[in-house]
Amino acid sequence: MTIPFFGKSIFVPSDIIAAWILSIVLGAILFIYVMNKRKWPLIWEYMRTTNHRKIGTMYILFGVIFFLRAGTDALLIRLQLAQPHAAFWVFQQEKYNELFTTHGTMMIFFVAMPLLIGLMNVAVPLQIGARDLAFPFLNAVSFWLFLAGAILFNMSFFFNSAPNAGWTGYAPLSTDTFTPSVGNDYFVFSLQVSGLGTIFTAINMIVTIVRHRAPGMRLTRMPLFSWATLITSFLILIAFSVLSMGLYLLMFDRMFGTGFFSGDTGNPVYWQHLFWIFGHPEVYILALPAFGIFSDIISTFSKKRIFGYPAMVLSIILIGFLGFMVWAHHMFTVGLGPMANTFFAITTMLIAVPTGIKVFNWLFTMRGGVVKITTPMLFALGFIPTFVMGGVTGVMLSVAAANFQYHDTHFVVAHFHYTIIGSTILGIFAGIYFWYPKVTGKVLDEKLGKWHFWLFIIGFHLTFLPMHVTGLQGMPRRVYTYQWGDDLFALNLTSTIGAFLMGSSMLFVGWNLYKTHKHGKKVGNDPWDGRTLEWTVQSPSQENTFEPMPIVKEMDPFWYAKVSGEKLRTTNNTRPAPISVNTILPFCIAFSLSIMSLGMIYTWYLLAVLGGASAFLLFIVRSLTDERKAYDLKEGHSNE
Amino acid sequence: MNEQAALFKDKQLGFLIYLFVESVMFATLFATYIIFTPAPSSPRPIDVFEAKSVILSSVFLLSSSGTLIFAEKGLNVRESKQNLTGLGITLLLGLIFLGLEIHEFYKYVQEGNGLTVNVFMSAFYVLVGLHAAHVTFGSGWMILLLIQYKTMKQSYQLYTEKQRIFQYYWHFVDVIWVFIIILVYLPYLL
Repeated sequence: MTIPFFGKSIFVPSDIIAAWILSIVLGAILFIYVMNKRKWPLIWEYMRTTNHRKIGTMYILFGVIFFLRAGTDALLIRLQLAQPHAAFWVFQQEKYNELFTTHGTMMIFFVAMPLLIGLMNVAVPLQIGARDLAFPFLNAVSFWLFLAGAILFNMSFFFNSAPNAGWTGYAPLSTDTFTPSVGNDYFVFSLQVSGLGTIFTAINMIVTIVRHRAPGMRLTRMPLFSWATLITSFLILIAFSVLSMGLYLLMFDRMFGTGFFSGDTGNPVYWQHLFWIFGHPEVYILALPAFGIFSDIISTFSKKRIFGYPAMVLSIILIGFLGFMVWAHHMFTVGLGPMANTFFAITTMLIAVPTGIKVFNWLFTMRGGVVKITTPMLFALGFIPTFVMGGVTGVMLSVAAANFQYHDTHFVVAHFHYTIIGSTILGIFAGIYFWYPKVTGKVLDEKLGKWHFWLFIIGFHLTFLPMHVTGLQGMPRRVYTYQWGDDLFALNLTSTIGAFLMGSSMLFVGWNLYKTHKHGKKVGNDPWDGRTLEWTVQSPSQENTFEPMPIVKEMDPFWYAKVSGEKLRTTNNTRPAPISVNTILPFCIAFSLSIMSLGMIYTWYLLAVLGGASAFLLFIVRSLTDERKAYDLKEGHSNE
Repeated sequence: MNEQAALFKDKQLGFLIYLFVESVMFATLFATYIIFTPAPSSPRPIDVFEAKSVILSSVFLLSSSGTLIFAEKGLNVRESKQNLTGLGITLLLGLIFLGLEIHEFYKYVQEGNGLTVNVFMSAFYVLVGLHAAHVTFGSGWMILLLIQYKTMKQSYQLYTEKQRIFQYYWHFVDVIWVFIIILVYLPYLL
């Protein structure tokens, strides 16, 4: 569509116009709602909060919003692939490249990551008896950096310059020679900003888990979700640092004329190494927390202690460790040589061992237990077979010689959707249903939750099971069409129908939220008959939790206290809690950095300098208005 | 006092983990440098580097770790003068180092060896440049500390914590410089 613009006429694709109109309409509706219901004080409160539950809630809220956005991308992809030679709307060629790039990047960085981090924020401090995360201010900074990165990434689409080099941003395609528009600059800077937030979260989680556990909550008594969070945080420290430097080098290639990843002397494969040294641990960063969630849920709804707790912990650690030694299995076809391929094939197969241990332990936890099929438990039950199927295709892919056949086909697409949706997304849904009372004080409607589950899981298998076959028949990923003679029509149409079934299940989530908040009743501290400390605090959790502080004597302390009919022993002699404050500074820091990024993306260096300078100025303000000062004075520490 | 110590230990652990993150980042850039050096096209490192400027800047930066330890001793026994002198000299040494760094970069560029000449020079600038940015940040941090020390609008204990965290940072930046000497310059100067 051509639009007159200050005397010139510019071409804007109609999907972007539709997105602008939709956003403006939704924005207006939201604005009117906020005005009418007088929600401004609430929004202002959340913008300044440093409380872990509130920040977790915001992570989840925005994660779900971006899930809908990236899910819409998925539906558009499926519509374009529904039949051979389809020409759906504008989504062919370049547009299709943008579509799968934004779908992948958003799902990983702005959906899966924030949703998991949101659940960690809500649940981990409560599970281990911490009163907040160790650095509440830093936690707020992390959240706003994530949101700044995500909004930056979304802006690129609205200005008709979405990134188009795939979520892996492979060089040399992602260098300025081949993709000169600002799209991939948006990719670089939005991931850089949100990645920084993720690193800060990891630091925060590690310090919280290492130093803020309740008395007696030894590491060997800690719930498995907290364990998974700890290991995941270590993975983040290394993986995201490498990603950050990869993006830093890519930025120099794109903007300042260096040639690390292209040209005569640069090396495109070096980008692949850097990206996958991040990218493969990232897969476990997504999967391990989900494993933790399922462990806690399966144990709770089987009314049994988790089977083989030490083996469960060890296998988390082992998966995390091996996760750093398998990155080149994404690069079997690059030509690294038989030795390298063999090494990475074997390490990849090895990962199946600790993962298998976990699967059996989940099954043995249920065996002989009093299993209660609630919505979170349903998701956990759906996870096991789904994830095992993804694991089996994973082992198939790890056979380097066979991998040459599967490489870059829909077989790979099927494989990683089985693993990531199978573990991460099902885990996130399970976690949201499970901990929803700790966030809002209400339990989501069970009947609608089950509708959600069944539609989602049936739709999921309908979408991705046929892709194994289309992939084996040679259908390449990231290609926007295929021929009538390829015999792929029926399977692709099935996939498209399945995708819409999955999409429709989200309507039930919306209905459920509405119904729960309209008619749902407040529940007590312990709606699920839980086992761990988070079920001893109020629903929703308050700002001053654990006063007095419980003393932990065994695993699942709350459960065994209930069994023996006693109350948990408590103490008032505890370590000092992290100091909560209300401050707008984190928001301002993230805002400054996004201004700086915009300046860099469009090479308006004055704006970049302004944004950067304002960020540094805010650091100084932060140092001078440290919350510890006021706390010191209140506690009566003199200046002696 | 016990409460303060606990909160400081949180901060200490958090910051040390942050330095671990930084060291992974620098390790990636070191790897980049080693992979791409020497580049197939000229200039070669041997044509560019000069022992004199490396030794000179190293003397200033590495001795600044010593003066910072001197300052810390003053901080511990509340010798205001010793602490201020130590910090002041550290700042001065840091700034001299920065001046020498800028001079070195300027000279290279004047000789026609800018960022984009070849992939070796690119890898050199992104690594050593990031280190220089760290020294710059540290210098700004020191100025802020000096202001806070002079005005002292907080308890001495709280100020001590802030200076200690800074000390970790500064020593870390020095250690990175040692690695830069060993991995970037030394193989091509010996």
